[in-house]
Amino acid sequence: MVGTIFLVIALAFSIMAMVMYYLSFKGYRNTLNYARISYHGMVMFIIAASTLLWYVLLTHQYQYNYVFSYSNNSLDTGFLLASFWGGQEGSFMLWLLITSIIGVILQSYTSKRKELEPQVMAVFTLATTFLLVMVSPWFKNPFEFIWATPMFLDISSINPLYLELPFLQSFFFTDNNSGAGFIQMNSELQGLLAGSGISVSQFIADGRGLNPQLLNFWMQIHPPILFTGFSMATVPFAFALGALMKNEYKEWVRQAFPWLLAGMGILGLGIMLGGYWAYEMLGWGGYWAWDPVENSSLIPWIVGLAGIHTLLVQRKSQSKGGIGKFAKTNLILCILTYVLVLYSTFLTRSGVLGDASVHSFVDPGNIVYFFLLLFTGTFLILGLGAIVYRWKWLTDNTQTEDGLLSRELALFTAAVVLLASGLIIIVGTSAPIFGQSVDTFFYNELNLPIAIIIGLLNGLSLLMKWRNTKTEDLLKKSLPSLGISLLIAVLIIVLGGIDEILIMLLVFSMAFSLVVNAEIAFKIIKGNKKMLGAYVAHIGIGLFILGVIGSSVNSQQVDVDLVKNETISAFGYEMTFTGWKPIDNNTKYSFNIDIRKGDSEYQVNPVMYVSDFNNSLMRIPAILTLPTQDFYITPLGYDEGKNSFVNQGESVVLEKGGRTDFNGIFITFTKFHLSEETMAAMQEGRDFQMGAILTIEKDYKVEEIELLRKQISGKVEFTSFASEEFDIKIKLINLTASNVEIALSKIAEEIEEQIAQTQEVLYVSASIKPFISLVWIGVVVMVVGFFISVMRRLKESLSR
Amino acid sequence: MKNKYIFGSFIIVVFLGIMIYLFTQSNIQYQDDFTQVMNTTKTVKATGSWVKEKSYHHDKENNTFTFYMVDGNGNEMKVAYNGSIPNNFETASSVVVTGKYVNGYFHAKDILTKCPSKYEDEQVRTSTL
Repeated sequence: MVGTIFLVIALAFSIMAMVMYYLSFKGYRNTLNYARISYHGMVMFIIAASTLLWYVLLTHQYQYNYVFSYSNNSLDTGFLLASFWGGQEGSFMLWLLITSIIGVILQSYTSKRKELEPQVMAVFTLATTFLLVMVSPWFKNPFEFIWATPMFLDISSINPLYLELPFLQSFFFTDNNSGAGFIQMNSELQGLLAGSGISVSQFIADGRGLNPQLLNFWMQIHPPILFTGFSMATVPFAFALGALMKNEYKEWVRQAFPWLLAGMGILGLGIMLGGYWAYEMLGWGGYWAWDPVENSSLIPWIVGLAGIHTLLVQRKSQSKGGIGKFAKTNLILCILTYVLVLYSTFLTRSGVLGDASVHSFVDPGNIVYFFLLLFTGTFLILGLGAIVYRWKWLTDNTQTEDGLLSRELALFTAAVVLLASGLIIIVGTSAPIFGQSVDTFFYNELNLPIAIIIGLLNGLSLLMKWRNTKTEDLLKKSLPSLGISLLIAVLIIVLGGIDEILIMLLVFSMAFSLVVNAEIAFKIIKGNKKMLGAYVAHIGIGLFILGVIGSSVNSQQVDVDLVKNETISAFGYEMTFTGWKPIDNNTKYSFNIDIRKGDSEYQVNPVMYVSDFNNSLMRIPAILTLPTQDFYITPLGYDEGKNSFVNQGESVVLEKGGRTDFNGIFITFTKFHLSEETMAAMQEGRDFQMGAILTIEKDYKVEEIELLRKQISGKVEFTSFASEEFDIKIKLINLTASNVEIALSKIAEEIEEQIAQTQEVLYVSASIKPFISLVWIGVVVMVVGFFISVMRRLKESLSR
Repeated sequence: MKNKYIFGSFIIVVFLGIMIYLFTQSNIQYQDDFTQVMNTTKTVKATGSWVKEKSYHHDKENNTFTFYMVDGNGNEMKVAYNGSIPNNFETASSVVVTGKYVNGYFHAKDILTKCPSKYEDEQVRTSTL
């Protein structure tokens, strides 16, 4: 209740701040102080609400729906803190919290730079207002009580002390399919419990917990960084709209530049941390799957990058006195970057993608859909509407045409090419809204030529001068770099065995970009180090793309069966499965695989476990990272050495009533045969046998057979059945309480009888990813480059 | 000045042309009617649910996983997927398979399982009403 009140107060403050800032912008004298007080009041209440949410998560207060749905008693402190953003409500909270704190920095930043604060903060508080409405009691409030909307709780989550309560009986429900028991939690039950002096937090003993796919170290880091990037995209938007309000287009470029750079640096890092998480934990076998959720955060990043390049031109061309070149382009790009962040949220949170994505949230209800649409639409219409309204002021007539070989035009072309890439991704990602979808080769094939052009442009633009370059100068300057990069490219192509022409071109283009940037970086490293940013960032991107080429073009994969203590070789790695051990309180199984490569020995441990959360088998890959490549092992399954056969034919699991066909013969598992005698024998530990009744039919011939599982002095044996008439051999492999597993083969096929010693087999998929480390190194270098630039541009934004 | 715009629009038209062409080439439609799935030779994303009553098995030798799916109208089809049983498969509320229907069964190259995060609600709601 308190949390909700905090959020409503914060909302009131946010609206107040927005109105007061707007009035200050309109020229009222004494409203600015009220605006500032309201803004800081809002931030304090948001921080208080967030702290409270963390507190109720840490203290397991399951009377809150959110706490019950996304945490449980077994989570350690780190994951409890991370369960803050485990669900939709909380991730909006996180976004809000970070945005509001960034606003504090922005307020201080703008107040130190003349006459920026009122209009920029008025726009910014509009964004916080929308976010606050999102977490308000009417939409996605994380403080909603569990009984507010009736829901079914698994019996196991209820404190057993209270299960005997007489009035509880009318709230019991049993699922007819699974037999699981549930209790319907609603306000009526809450009232009855309160009447007996029991609070709901006592009544519910445990929560559902986090989805096992989120239980990874990076869950604690990736979402906050990504949301910081999202939140920072608000700032260039606010600057752009502020400039349009004020009808003043010169200053904002300089002021917004460090923010756009920092925001895109952080967003880029956040996106790739997500990729690393997928690579390391989810066992996709890669770091990028063109999944809608990944794509939707990539789109604003690419558009923001385009904006960085054109903002640079505007800054440079302002030296002539006017507002500079590309004023419209820059306003549009800064506005679109944030609108696309909102659109990304709309795609992934509104449920429009439905079946298309692995991690889109499911069915949040119509009202959220419309609110997100309204949120995105408002900012889009406001931004673009303002540009249309101010259109005639947005052309700088003092500017002259640039030559074809000018850095200005090269940077503009780079922005256009980046936007083309963004357009490709947005078209592919939005397709599911219209019931369409695209294969991933759509993204790969279209982005490949774009990457080639970007690499070449990057190298060339740095060799060009501002305004105009003489063709012979450019040729003279670029020849040495072209020669060196050609040499490097040929080396990579030959050593890497690359045979596709476009990939060869990409290698060359990236080598060219790397050589030119490295050359310039080397020249200025002795001089003015703060100028290094752009070159370092571009070197990072070059390394990244080379890593992408290495790890995807030359990746190879094979499935292998690792029989315990037998050595199997794949890609020059000798693997020996030596056993497994339970970890994490016997809830997970860690498999030991010894690996020999040349003279070095390593051990890796893929992990498998059945998650209580969703009753499924979770597989965590193991990665052996070597300087030139990763050896990536995904566990597929494990056979604990029940009766194994050398040739076991086709093995089938049948549930009761289940049916399978083998060469036109239908086999149906009709029922178990379990006599009372058997039951008694089982309980007393005597020898016993259980039967499975199967019917086999072929061409209207039907026969009923029984296969037996015999337990004789502790040893288990299975019987088999063979029929010349049907030409089939059926061997019982396993019989459990719910199903039977049988091996099927033709009579002529040799099925070896049960082997005396049992074999443990681990099934894995092994792959090599050459030079994948360049992907990660590239990202880190790129982010470092971004921040060197931020430092430089931050200083510039203060100077007069 | 005029040349600039002509050149620019030419590039844009070519780019859009290539993009639309590739879009139609790589386009995969969602299809929740299995009779349609069986009658087309195109790659589709078939959406339906897993028939838990029918047998499913994983052939370790060929690493193929086979199971049955049913659509909203009760049409069933056999699906073979080249790979192991995906995570979450047992509790999936709906399954999306990408592939083609050839020779009497659906060859899936990709399986996506959807598990509603509050799946228990769904389950009970259908069985108690």
